[in-house]
Amino acid sequence: MVRKDLPRVITTISALIVVFSAFTFIGNQMKLTATVDKWLQVSEATAFLIGAVNLTRIHGQNIQRQRSGYFNSIMLLICLWGFFALGLVNTSNGTIYRWIYDATLVHMEATMFSVICFYIASSAYRAFRIRTREATVLLVVATIVMLGNVPIGDVLWAQLPTIKDWILRVPNSAAMRGITIGIQIGGFATALRILLGLERAHMGGAGA
Amino acid sequence: MSTLAAAAPAAPVQPVLLIFQPAMIAQFMVMFLMLLFVYTMTQRARAGAPVPPIRKLAGLEAVDEAIGRATEMGRPVHFSVGLGTVSDSATFAGWATLGYVAKMCAQYDTKLINTNRNYLVMSINEEIIRQAYLEAGRPDAFNPDDVRYLSGSQFGYATGVLGIFQREKPAANFMIGYFYAESLLFAEGGYLSGTIQIAGTTNTTQLAFFMAACDYTLLGEEIFAASAYLSKEPVLVGSVVGQDLGKILTFIVIVIGTILQNFQGKSNWLTSILKK
Repeated sequence: MVRKDLPRVITTISALIVVFSAFTFIGNQMKLTATVDKWLQVSEATAFLIGAVNLTRIHGQNIQRQRSGYFNSIMLLICLWGFFALGLVNTSNGTIYRWIYDATLVHMEATMFSVICFYIASSAYRAFRIRTREATVLLVVATIVMLGNVPIGDVLWAQLPTIKDWILRVPNSAAMRGITIGIQIGGFATALRILLGLERAHMGGAGA
Repeated sequence: MSTLAAAAPAAPVQPVLLIFQPAMIAQFMVMFLMLLFVYTMTQRARAGAPVPPIRKLAGLEAVDEAIGRATEMGRPVHFSVGLGTVSDSATFAGWATLGYVAKMCAQYDTKLINTNRNYLVMSINEEIIRQAYLEAGRPDAFNPDDVRYLSGSQFGYATGVLGIFQREKPAANFMIGYFYAESLLFAEGGYLSGTIQIAGTTNTTQLAFFMAACDYTLLGEEIFAASAYLSKEPVLVGSVVGQDLGKILTFIVIVIGTILQNFQGKSNWLTSILKK
């Protein structure tokens, strides 16, 4: 009873506070949304340890049982807690802390981001293979848009950039707006379902 | 000073009680109408009145098939709700599917790996999965180590997921929630490790990547129908019908707005109502 109903009551009250704050003059003056945001920030800060403990537990077990690649787990734990300890001593604006961040993390993230360009090529190859009518349309449209975006397209046929612009501005925009409107209404209806206590998936249980 | 003294005394200003925030009345009316639609349709469903069914969604129809495949192959199922936080509606849609997938995995005794980037989301995921195992009558089969926090960094998380794809070779990969640039990394990484992939997001810029790389894609709002579709609970189905009524109303307003805009210009009656 408490396990199911208490979270539902807290959710509904929080949602009503946000609605009251957004729509009424008094609520807006009281800045209630900012208060609810602070509650969320406090919850997230408290939950930080849960993530760190989860990582330590899983990788600690890897090391203890000497599973394959356990030396990676040792490295991960050294980085996790070493960086945390350094942050406490050196602060997040300290020279050593910033140097480690800028010299390692930034580059590793950039590398992972760059991998996307190769994956775009391989997934586009699969998507463009002519298997269905839709895939054929996709291939033709994508070819026009790609050629229209590069100088050689203009050289091949002067109308290509114009057609590309039309595709992006008219059919593409229309479809995207349709999807966006649907998403906004769907998100709104989900919020109302949570407010009414109909959507209970986040409290555990299958489906609803 | 003399000018001020000569000026006529201003009439006293009467304070006006403002109930609504200025320019929010129309938005409040829209919310009220949607609430009315959802409430009316759920009440109809509760009373046993016929509720129109939800059309077939291939992505959700394939959920059982994907879990069945993982069971037959003796390989795990991977589930990610993406980078969204607890305040994203897409994350709630992901949770609806996660509960169902976890229950199926518990029934079939298939390992379910859930990876996370947000620790608050991870706590909720763990609770959802634990509850699903309990409902399936197999609480002992739940392994908390399969609910994993990987990294708070976007690409750190992506790297962790790709590593799991390589090492543990899941046979089914579910990605339902809010995804950013890591969507294609997951989808291609999943494809390369031979998973059947079901994805859905409300981030329109990432939808194209999912469409190109995954076996089944839930387009935008379709993920919000997941809880009703999978649970088949009439009250939830009724709420989705209420949502569709809202969509029909929006469509009508768009059509009327387009006509008025063309014939009366920008300052037509509909625009002035919606600006209030």
